[in-house]
Amino acid sequence: MVKLDFPHRQAGHCESGVTRNLLNYHGLPISEPVAFGIGAGLFFSYLPFLKMQHAPTTSFRVWPGQVFDRTTKVLGVTSRIHTFRDPKESMSKLNEVLEQGYPVGLQVGTFHLPFFPPEYRMHYNMHNMVVYGYEGDNYFISDTVMENLVEINNEDLMRVRFAKGAFAPQGRMYYPVDVPKNVDIRPAIVRGIRKTANNMVGIPFPLVGAKGIRYLAGRMRKWEKNLGPEKASYYLGQVLRMEEEVGTAGAGFRFIYGAFLEEASQILNQPWLKELSVEMGENANRWREFSYLGSRNCKKRGKPDQSYDFLADILLEVAGREEKIFKALAKIK
Amino acid sequence: MEETQNPVYKDKSYGQYRELSYSYEEGGKFETTVGFHGEADRLILQQAWDLFNERITEAKNKVLVGKASPVVYYMEKNLLDPMNLSMMAGISVWRVKLHFKPSFFRRLSAATMKKYADAFNITVDQLKNIE
Repeated sequence: MVKLDFPHRQAGHCESGVTRNLLNYHGLPISEPVAFGIGAGLFFSYLPFLKMQHAPTTSFRVWPGQVFDRTTKVLGVTSRIHTFRDPKESMSKLNEVLEQGYPVGLQVGTFHLPFFPPEYRMHYNMHNMVVYGYEGDNYFISDTVMENLVEINNEDLMRVRFAKGAFAPQGRMYYPVDVPKNVDIRPAIVRGIRKTANNMVGIPFPLVGAKGIRYLAGRMRKWEKNLGPEKASYYLGQVLRMEEEVGTAGAGFRFIYGAFLEEASQILNQPWLKELSVEMGENANRWREFSYLGSRNCKKRGKPDQSYDFLADILLEVAGREEKIFKALAKIK
Repeated sequence: MEETQNPVYKDKSYGQYRELSYSYEEGGKFETTVGFHGEADRLILQQAWDLFNERITEAKNKVLVGKASPVVYYMEKNLLDPMNLSMMAGISVWRVKLHFKPSFFRRLSAATMKKYADAFNITVDQLKNIE
Protein backbone atom coordinates (compact mmCIF):
# COMPACT_ATOMS: atom_id res chain seq x y z
CA MET A 1 0.00 0.00 0.00
CA VAL A 2 1.17 3.50 -0.87
CA LYS A 3 -0.57 6.76 -0.07
CA LEU A 4 1.42 9.89 -0.83
CA ASP A 5 0.60 13.17 0.82
CA PHE A 6 -0.73 14.82 -2.33
CA PRO A 7 -2.41 18.23 -2.02
CA HIS A 8 -5.63 18.12 -4.07
CA ARG A 9 -6.83 21.34 -5.67
CA GLN A 10 -9.67 21.81 -8.09
CA ALA A 11 -8.82 23.43 -11.42
CA GLY A 12 -10.56 24.85 -14.46
CA HIS A 13 -8.62 22.86 -17.02
CA CYS A 14 -7.65 19.26 -16.33
CA GLU A 15 -4.20 19.17 -17.88
CA SER A 16 -2.87 22.50 -16.57
CA GLY A 17 -4.39 21.64 -13.19
CA VAL A 18 -2.58 18.30 -13.16
CA THR A 19 0.66 19.98 -14.26
CA ARG A 20 0.34 22.59 -11.53
CA ASN A 21 -0.50 20.03 -8.83
CA LEU A 22 2.41 17.77 -9.80
CA LEU A 23 4.93 20.63 -9.95
CA ASN A 24 3.65 22.10 -6.67
CA TYR A 25 4.09 18.70 -5.06
CA HIS A 26 7.74 18.76 -6.09
CA GLY A 27 8.17 22.24 -4.66
CA LEU A 28 7.75 24.52 -7.68
CA PRO A 29 5.06 27.06 -6.76
CA ILE A 30 3.32 28.02 -10.02
CA SER A 31 -0.38 28.71 -10.53
CA GLU A 32 -2.75 27.05 -13.00
CA PRO A 33 -2.86 30.02 -15.45
CA VAL A 34 0.96 30.16 -15.49
CA ALA A 35 1.22 26.42 -16.19
CA PHE A 36 -1.31 26.88 -19.00
CA GLY A 37 0.51 29.92 -20.40
CA ILE A 38 4.01 28.41 -20.33
CA GLY A 39 2.60 25.27 -21.93
CA ALA A 40 1.14 27.51 -24.71
CA GLY A 41 -2.23 25.82 -24.29
CA LEU A 42 -4.41 28.43 -26.02
CA PHE A 43 -5.39 27.80 -29.61
CA PHE A 44 -8.30 27.73 -32.00
CA SER A 45 -9.04 25.28 -34.76
CA TYR A 46 -12.15 24.36 -36.68
CA LEU A 47 -11.97 21.03 -38.49
CA PRO A 48 -15.17 20.41 -40.48
CA PHE A 49 -13.86 17.15 -42.00
CA LEU A 50 -13.33 15.60 -38.56
CA LYS A 51 -16.69 14.73 -37.00
CA MET A 52 -17.07 14.33 -33.27
CA GLN A 53 -20.42 13.32 -31.81
CA HIS A 54 -22.08 13.88 -35.17
CA ALA A 55 -20.79 17.44 -35.67
CA PRO A 56 -17.55 19.13 -36.82
CA THR A 57 -14.72 19.38 -34.33
CA THR A 58 -13.95 22.80 -32.88
CA SER A 59 -11.01 23.03 -30.56
CA PHE A 60 -9.90 25.87 -28.32
CA ARG A 61 -6.67 24.25 -27.21
CA VAL A 62 -3.52 22.60 -28.47
CA TRP A 63 -2.99 18.87 -28.89
CA PRO A 64 -3.53 16.91 -25.64
CA GLY A 65 -0.37 16.28 -23.67
CA GLN A 66 1.41 19.38 -24.97
CA VAL A 67 0.77 21.56 -21.94
CA PHE A 68 2.56 19.15 -19.61
CA ASP A 69 5.31 18.34 -22.11
CA ARG A 70 6.11 21.96 -22.93
CA THR A 71 5.85 23.29 -19.38
CA THR A 72 8.20 20.69 -17.93
CA LYS A 73 10.63 20.93 -20.83
CA VAL A 74 10.86 24.72 -20.82
CA LEU A 75 11.27 24.84 -17.05
CA GLY A 76 14.08 22.29 -17.16
CA VAL A 77 12.11 19.66 -15.24
CA THR A 78 13.12 16.05 -15.90
CA SER A 79 10.00 13.99 -16.48
CA ARG A 80 9.22 10.51 -17.72
CA ILE A 81 6.45 9.65 -20.16
CA HIS A 82 5.37 6.10 -20.96
CA THR A 83 2.76 4.53 -23.21
CA PHE A 84 1.96 0.83 -23.26
CA ARG A 85 0.52 -1.96 -25.36
CA ASP A 86 -0.14 -4.38 -22.55
CA PRO A 87 -2.61 -3.18 -19.88
CA LYS A 88 -1.14 -5.51 -17.21
CA GLU A 89 2.35 -4.17 -17.79
CA SER A 90 1.06 -0.59 -17.52
CA MET A 91 -0.51 -1.31 -14.13
CA SER A 92 2.62 -2.94 -12.70
CA LYS A 93 4.69 0.01 -13.94
CA LEU A 94 2.22 2.37 -12.27
CA ASN A 95 2.54 0.50 -8.95
CA GLU A 96 6.31 0.52 -9.24
CA VAL A 97 6.49 4.29 -9.79
CA LEU A 98 4.07 4.97 -6.93
CA GLU A 99 6.22 2.83 -4.62
CA GLN A 100 9.21 4.96 -5.55
CA GLY A 101 7.21 7.92 -4.20
CA TYR A 102 6.17 9.80 -7.33
CA PRO A 103 2.56 10.84 -7.95
CA VAL A 104 1.67 9.97 -11.56
CA GLY A 105 -0.41 11.83 -14.15
CA LEU A 106 -2.60 9.66 -16.38
CA GLN A 107 -4.40 10.31 -19.65
CA VAL A 108 -7.77 8.55 -19.60
CA GLY A 109 -11.07 8.26 -21.49
CA THR A 110 -14.11 9.65 -19.69
CA PHE A 111 -16.85 7.36 -20.98
CA HIS A 112 -16.28 4.60 -18.40
CA LEU A 113 -14.93 6.79 -15.62
CA PRO A 114 -17.20 5.82 -12.69
CA PHE A 115 -16.82 8.90 -10.48
CA PHE A 116 -17.16 11.46 -13.29
CA PRO A 117 -20.27 13.71 -13.46
CA PRO A 118 -22.72 11.69 -15.60
CA GLU A 119 -23.63 14.62 -17.87
CA TYR A 120 -20.02 14.66 -19.13
CA ARG A 121 -19.69 10.92 -19.74
CA MET A 122 -19.20 11.08 -23.49
CA HIS A 123 -16.28 9.67 -25.46
CA TYR A 124 -13.52 12.06 -24.61
CA ASN A 125 -10.08 10.45 -24.44
CA MET A 126 -8.06 13.48 -23.43
CA HIS A 127 -8.89 13.76 -19.76
CA ASN A 128 -6.06 13.95 -17.23
CA MET A 129 -5.88 13.00 -13.56
CA VAL A 130 -3.31 12.12 -10.91
CA VAL A 131 -2.88 8.82 -9.07
CA TYR A 132 -1.23 9.31 -5.69
CA GLY A 133 -1.46 5.86 -4.14
CA TYR A 134 -3.07 2.46 -4.01
CA GLU A 135 -4.23 -0.11 -1.53
CA GLY A 136 -4.85 -3.61 -2.90
CA ASP A 137 -7.19 -3.14 -5.85
CA ASN A 138 -8.12 0.43 -5.02
CA TYR A 139 -6.35 3.44 -6.49
CA PHE A 140 -6.46 6.91 -4.97
CA ILE A 141 -7.18 9.62 -7.51
CA SER A 142 -6.94 13.39 -7.49
CA ASP A 143 -9.10 14.60 -10.39
CA THR A 144 -9.10 18.36 -10.89
CA VAL A 145 -12.73 18.37 -12.12
CA MET A 146 -13.89 16.92 -8.80
CA GLU A 147 -14.20 18.87 -5.60
CA ASN A 148 -12.94 16.00 -3.45
CA LEU A 149 -10.52 13.10 -3.73
CA VAL A 150 -11.91 9.95 -5.31
CA GLU A 151 -11.07 6.27 -5.66
CA ILE A 152 -11.24 3.81 -8.51
CA ASN A 153 -10.72 0.05 -8.69
CA ASN A 154 -8.11 -1.76 -10.73
CA GLU A 155 -10.45 -3.03 -13.46
CA ASP A 156 -12.09 0.35 -14.12
CA LEU A 157 -8.74 2.13 -14.14
CA MET A 158 -7.39 -0.33 -16.68
CA ARG A 159 -10.43 0.23 -18.90
CA VAL A 160 -10.24 4.03 -18.87
CA ARG A 161 -6.47 3.99 -19.44
CA PHE A 162 -6.97 1.82 -22.50
CA ALA A 163 -10.09 3.49 -23.86
CA LYS A 164 -10.12 3.12 -27.63
CA GLY A 165 -11.23 5.43 -30.42
CA ALA A 166 -9.92 8.84 -31.49
CA PHE A 167 -6.92 10.09 -29.43
CA ALA A 168 -6.67 6.74 -27.59
CA PRO A 169 -4.56 7.24 -24.43
CA GLN A 170 -2.75 3.87 -24.70
CA GLY A 171 -2.13 3.90 -20.97
CA ARG A 172 -0.15 7.15 -21.19
CA MET A 173 1.43 8.02 -17.84
CA TYR A 174 3.75 10.90 -17.01
CA TYR A 175 5.52 12.15 -13.91
CA PRO A 176 8.24 14.65 -13.05
CA VAL A 177 11.22 13.04 -11.34
CA ASP A 178 13.60 15.93 -10.87
CA VAL A 179 12.45 19.53 -10.39
CA PRO A 180 15.27 22.10 -10.16
CA LYS A 181 15.33 24.41 -7.15
CA ASN A 182 14.96 28.19 -7.60
CA VAL A 183 14.11 27.97 -11.28
CA ASP A 184 13.67 31.30 -13.09
CA ILE A 185 10.27 31.15 -14.78
CA ARG A 186 10.61 34.47 -16.63
CA PRO A 187 12.23 33.19 -19.86
CA ALA A 188 9.76 30.31 -19.84
CA ILE A 189 6.83 32.75 -19.74
CA VAL A 190 8.26 34.76 -22.64
CA ARG A 191 8.72 31.59 -24.70
CA GLY A 192 5.20 30.44 -23.90
CA ILE A 193 3.66 33.76 -24.96
CA ARG A 194 5.69 33.83 -28.18
CA LYS A 195 4.64 30.28 -29.05
CA THR A 196 0.95 31.03 -28.44
CA ALA A 197 1.13 34.25 -30.46
CA ASN A 198 2.67 32.33 -33.34
CA ASN A 199 0.01 29.64 -33.12
CA MET A 200 -2.79 32.20 -33.16
CA VAL A 201 -1.62 34.63 -35.86
CA GLY A 202 1.50 33.15 -37.45
CA ILE A 203 0.29 29.96 -39.13
CA PRO A 204 -0.65 30.49 -42.79
CA PHE A 205 -3.55 28.03 -42.80
CA PRO A 206 -7.20 29.13 -42.89
CA LEU A 207 -8.64 26.72 -40.31
CA VAL A 208 -6.51 27.61 -37.30
CA GLY A 209 -5.89 30.63 -35.10
CA ALA A 210 -7.71 33.94 -35.56
CA LYS A 211 -8.26 33.01 -39.24
CA GLY A 212 -10.02 29.86 -38.08
CA ILE A 213 -12.52 31.91 -36.07
CA ARG A 214 -13.30 33.97 -39.19
CA TYR A 215 -13.68 30.80 -41.23
CA LEU A 216 -16.11 29.39 -38.67
CA ALA A 217 -18.10 32.64 -38.79
CA GLY A 218 -18.38 32.34 -42.56
CA ARG A 219 -19.57 28.75 -42.39
CA MET A 220 -22.00 29.53 -39.61
CA ARG A 221 -23.95 31.93 -41.83
CA LYS A 222 -24.65 29.11 -44.27
CA TRP A 223 -25.55 26.40 -41.75
CA GLU A 224 -29.26 27.06 -41.61
CA LYS A 225 -29.65 27.11 -45.37
CA ASN A 226 -27.42 24.10 -46.05
CA LEU A 227 -28.26 21.84 -43.12
CA GLY A 228 -31.76 22.77 -42.05
CA PRO A 229 -32.67 24.34 -38.71
CA GLU A 230 -32.31 21.24 -36.50
CA LYS A 231 -28.86 20.25 -37.61
CA ALA A 232 -27.64 23.86 -37.71
CA SER A 233 -28.71 24.27 -34.10
CA TYR A 234 -26.90 21.06 -33.16
CA TYR A 235 -23.72 22.20 -34.92
CA LEU A 236 -23.86 25.47 -33.02
CA GLY A 237 -24.39 23.53 -29.79
CA GLN A 238 -21.27 21.52 -30.55
CA VAL A 239 -19.17 24.68 -30.85
CA LEU A 240 -20.55 25.87 -27.52
CA ARG A 241 -19.94 22.52 -25.83
CA MET A 242 -16.31 22.60 -26.91
CA GLU A 243 -16.09 26.19 -25.75
CA GLU A 244 -17.70 25.91 -22.35
CA GLU A 245 -17.98 22.33 -21.18
CA VAL A 246 -14.97 20.12 -21.76
CA GLY A 247 -12.78 21.51 -18.99
CA THR A 248 -12.07 24.91 -20.51
CA ALA A 249 -12.63 26.99 -17.38
CA GLY A 250 -15.08 29.08 -19.40
CA ALA A 251 -15.03 30.94 -22.74
CA GLY A 252 -12.69 28.47 -24.40
CA PHE A 253 -9.66 29.11 -22.13
CA ARG A 254 -9.79 32.87 -22.76
CA PHE A 255 -10.41 33.69 -19.09
CA ILE A 256 -7.56 31.51 -17.92
CA TYR A 257 -5.24 33.06 -20.50
CA GLY A 258 -6.20 36.55 -19.40
CA ALA A 259 -5.40 35.57 -15.81
CA PHE A 260 -2.04 34.31 -17.07
CA LEU A 261 -1.27 37.64 -18.78
CA GLU A 262 -2.19 39.50 -15.61
CA GLU A 263 0.19 37.35 -13.57
CA ALA A 264 2.88 37.52 -16.25
CA SER A 265 2.84 41.34 -16.19
CA GLN A 266 3.70 41.22 -12.47
CA ILE A 267 6.35 38.53 -12.78
CA LEU A 268 8.05 40.10 -15.80
CA ASN A 269 7.41 43.64 -14.54
CA GLN A 270 6.00 44.70 -17.93
CA PRO A 271 2.90 46.88 -17.40
CA TRP A 272 1.75 46.69 -21.04
CA LEU A 273 0.87 43.02 -20.50
CA LYS A 274 -1.62 44.13 -17.86
CA GLU A 275 -3.41 46.25 -20.48
CA LEU A 276 -3.54 43.26 -22.80
CA SER A 277 -4.92 41.11 -19.98
CA VAL A 278 -7.77 43.61 -19.62
CA GLU A 279 -8.44 43.33 -23.35
CA MET A 280 -8.30 39.56 -23.06
CA GLY A 281 -10.83 39.69 -20.23
CA GLU A 282 -13.21 41.81 -22.32
CA ASN A 283 -12.67 39.46 -25.23
CA ALA A 284 -13.47 36.48 -22.98
CA ASN A 285 -16.66 38.17 -21.82
CA ARG A 286 -17.63 38.61 -25.46
CA TRP A 287 -17.12 34.86 -26.02
CA ARG A 288 -19.28 34.28 -22.95
CA GLU A 289 -22.00 36.42 -24.49
CA PHE A 290 -21.70 34.42 -27.69
CA SER A 291 -22.26 31.17 -25.83
CA TYR A 292 -25.08 32.66 -23.79
CA LEU A 293 -26.99 33.87 -26.87
CA GLY A 294 -26.13 30.68 -28.73
CA SER A 295 -27.53 28.50 -25.97
CA ARG A 296 -30.89 30.33 -26.28
CA ASN A 297 -30.79 29.33 -29.93
CA CYS A 298 -30.25 25.69 -28.95
CA LYS A 299 -33.19 25.78 -26.56
CA LYS A 300 -35.79 26.43 -29.22
CA ARG A 301 -34.80 23.72 -31.61
CA GLY A 302 -35.55 24.70 -35.17
CA LYS A 303 -36.72 28.16 -34.19
CA PRO A 304 -33.62 30.23 -33.53
CA ASP A 305 -34.48 33.52 -31.91
CA GLN A 306 -30.87 34.62 -32.22
CA SER A 307 -29.90 34.42 -35.86
CA TYR A 308 -26.69 32.80 -37.07
CA ASP A 309 -25.74 36.04 -38.80
CA PHE A 310 -25.83 37.86 -35.50
CA LEU A 311 -23.67 35.20 -33.81
CA ALA A 312 -21.25 35.16 -36.74
CA ASP A 313 -20.82 38.93 -36.33
CA ILE A 314 -19.76 38.39 -32.71
CA LEU A 315 -17.25 35.79 -33.92
CA LEU A 316 -15.79 38.24 -36.42
CA GLU A 317 -15.45 40.77 -33.66
CA VAL A 318 -13.58 38.40 -31.31
CA ALA A 319 -11.39 37.26 -34.21
CA GLY A 320 -10.37 40.88 -34.77
CA ARG A 321 -9.71 41.42 -31.07
CA GLU A 322 -7.62 38.27 -30.77
CA GLU A 323 -5.63 39.07 -33.86
CA LYS A 324 -4.79 42.47 -32.38
CA ILE A 325 -3.88 41.03 -28.97
CA PHE A 326 -1.64 38.29 -30.30
CA LYS A 327 0.08 40.50 -32.85
CA ALA A 328 1.02 42.76 -29.93
CA LEU A 329 2.10 39.77 -27.84
CA ALA A 330 4.33 38.44 -30.62
CA LYS A 331 6.63 41.40 -30.01
CA ILE A 332 7.40 40.39 -26.42
CA LYS A 333 11.03 40.46 -25.33
CA MET B 1 -24.44 33.70 -15.54
CA GLU B 2 -23.16 32.46 -12.17
CA GLU B 3 -25.94 30.58 -10.48
CA THR B 4 -25.66 29.13 -7.05
CA GLN B 5 -28.29 26.41 -7.25
CA ASN B 6 -27.78 23.46 -9.53
CA PRO B 7 -29.71 23.37 -12.81
CA VAL B 8 -32.48 20.82 -13.20
CA TYR B 9 -31.97 18.27 -15.96
CA LYS B 10 -34.45 15.75 -17.29
CA ASP B 11 -32.17 13.10 -15.81
CA LYS B 12 -32.00 13.89 -12.11
CA SER B 13 -28.50 12.49 -11.64
CA TYR B 14 -27.08 15.26 -13.85
CA GLY B 15 -25.80 18.61 -12.66
CA GLN B 16 -24.94 17.48 -9.12
CA TYR B 17 -21.28 18.47 -9.07
CA ARG B 18 -19.66 21.79 -8.26
CA GLU B 19 -16.93 22.92 -10.62
CA LEU B 20 -14.31 25.61 -10.69
CA SER B 21 -14.60 28.34 -13.28
CA TYR B 22 -12.86 31.60 -14.11
CA SER B 23 -14.53 34.95 -14.70
CA TYR B 24 -13.62 38.56 -15.34
CA GLU B 25 -15.29 41.68 -14.02
CA GLU B 26 -15.07 44.69 -16.35
CA GLY B 27 -12.02 46.75 -15.35
CA GLY B 28 -11.38 44.47 -12.43
CA LYS B 29 -9.60 41.23 -11.78
CA PHE B 30 -9.79 37.64 -12.91
CA GLU B 31 -11.43 35.47 -10.32
CA THR B 32 -12.14 31.82 -9.73
CA THR B 33 -15.41 30.58 -8.32
CA VAL B 34 -16.62 27.12 -7.39
CA GLY B 35 -20.25 26.46 -8.13
CA PHE B 36 -22.83 24.51 -10.09
CA HIS B 37 -22.88 25.26 -13.76
CA GLY B 38 -25.45 27.65 -15.11
CA GLU B 39 -28.58 27.54 -17.25
CA ALA B 40 -26.67 28.11 -20.52
CA ASP B 41 -24.50 25.07 -19.79
CA ARG B 42 -27.57 22.99 -19.06
CA LEU B 43 -29.20 23.96 -22.35
CA ILE B 44 -26.29 22.91 -24.54
CA LEU B 45 -25.57 19.71 -22.60
CA GLN B 46 -29.24 18.77 -22.64
CA GLN B 47 -29.28 19.33 -26.39
CA ALA B 48 -26.54 16.73 -26.87
CA TRP B 49 -28.24 14.17 -24.61
CA ASP B 50 -31.58 14.80 -26.34
CA LEU B 51 -29.99 13.93 -29.67
CA PHE B 52 -28.27 10.84 -28.26
CA ASN B 53 -31.48 9.56 -26.69
CA GLU B 54 -33.45 10.27 -29.85
CA ARG B 55 -30.92 8.31 -31.92
CA ILE B 56 -31.01 5.40 -29.46
CA THR B 57 -34.82 5.16 -29.58
CA GLU B 58 -34.82 5.46 -33.34
CA ALA B 59 -32.21 2.72 -33.69
CA LYS B 60 -34.10 0.46 -31.33
CA ASN B 61 -37.32 0.82 -33.31
CA LYS B 62 -35.46 0.05 -36.52
CA VAL B 63 -33.96 -3.08 -35.02
CA LEU B 64 -37.34 -4.25 -33.70
CA VAL B 65 -38.97 -3.99 -37.14
CA GLY B 66 -35.96 -5.71 -38.75
CA LYS B 67 -34.60 -2.74 -40.69
CA ALA B 68 -31.28 -2.60 -38.87
CA SER B 69 -29.03 -4.99 -36.97
CA PRO B 70 -28.43 -4.83 -33.20
CA VAL B 71 -24.96 -3.43 -33.96
CA VAL B 72 -26.66 -0.12 -34.83
CA TYR B 73 -28.57 -0.06 -31.56
CA TYR B 74 -25.54 -0.80 -29.41
CA MET B 75 -23.43 1.65 -31.36
CA GLU B 76 -25.90 4.45 -30.60
CA LYS B 77 -26.29 3.30 -27.01
CA ASN B 78 -22.53 3.62 -26.51
CA LEU B 79 -22.55 7.07 -28.17
CA LEU B 80 -20.28 5.85 -30.97
CA ASP B 81 -20.08 6.49 -34.68
CA PRO B 82 -18.97 3.93 -37.30
CA MET B 83 -15.37 5.17 -37.24
CA ASN B 84 -14.97 4.92 -33.48
CA LEU B 85 -16.74 1.57 -33.41
CA SER B 86 -14.39 0.32 -36.09
CA MET B 87 -11.39 1.34 -33.97
CA MET B 88 -12.82 -0.28 -30.86
CA ALA B 89 -13.81 -3.57 -32.43
CA GLY B 90 -10.87 -3.79 -34.80
CA ILE B 91 -13.12 -4.20 -37.87
CA SER B 92 -12.81 -1.95 -40.89
CA VAL B 93 -15.37 0.82 -41.36
CA TRP B 94 -16.93 -0.55 -44.54
CA ARG B 95 -17.43 -3.96 -42.92
CA VAL B 96 -18.95 -2.32 -39.85
CA LYS B 97 -21.38 -0.50 -42.12
CA LEU B 98 -22.18 -3.78 -43.89
CA HIS B 99 -23.00 -5.35 -40.52
CA PHE B 100 -25.65 -2.67 -39.97
CA LYS B 101 -27.85 -4.73 -42.32
CA PRO B 102 -29.63 -7.63 -40.59
CA SER B 103 -28.94 -10.00 -43.51
CA PHE B 104 -25.18 -9.57 -43.10
CA PHE B 105 -25.33 -9.53 -39.33
CA ARG B 106 -27.05 -12.95 -39.27
CA ARG B 107 -24.18 -14.53 -41.21
CA LEU B 108 -21.42 -13.23 -38.90
CA SER B 109 -18.91 -15.72 -37.51
CA ALA B 110 -18.73 -16.33 -33.78
CA ALA B 111 -15.34 -14.59 -33.67
CA THR B 112 -16.65 -11.36 -35.20
CA MET B 113 -19.69 -11.45 -32.91
CA LYS B 114 -17.27 -11.73 -29.99
CA LYS B 115 -15.34 -8.69 -31.22
CA TYR B 116 -18.51 -6.58 -31.25
CA ALA B 117 -19.65 -7.94 -27.89
CA ASP B 118 -16.28 -7.05 -26.34
CA ALA B 119 -16.34 -3.56 -27.84
CA PHE B 120 -19.81 -2.97 -26.32
CA ASN B 121 -18.82 -4.69 -23.07
CA ILE B 122 -21.76 -7.18 -23.27
CA THR B 123 -22.20 -10.93 -23.94
CA VAL B 124 -22.83 -12.37 -27.40
CA ASP B 125 -26.36 -13.36 -26.32
CA GLN B 126 -27.14 -9.78 -25.38
CA LEU B 127 -25.79 -8.68 -28.74
CA LYS B 128 -28.09 -11.04 -30.63
CA ASN B 129 -31.22 -10.23 -28.62
CA ILE B 130 -31.64 -6.60 -27.61
CA GLU B 131 -33.78 -6.05 -24.55
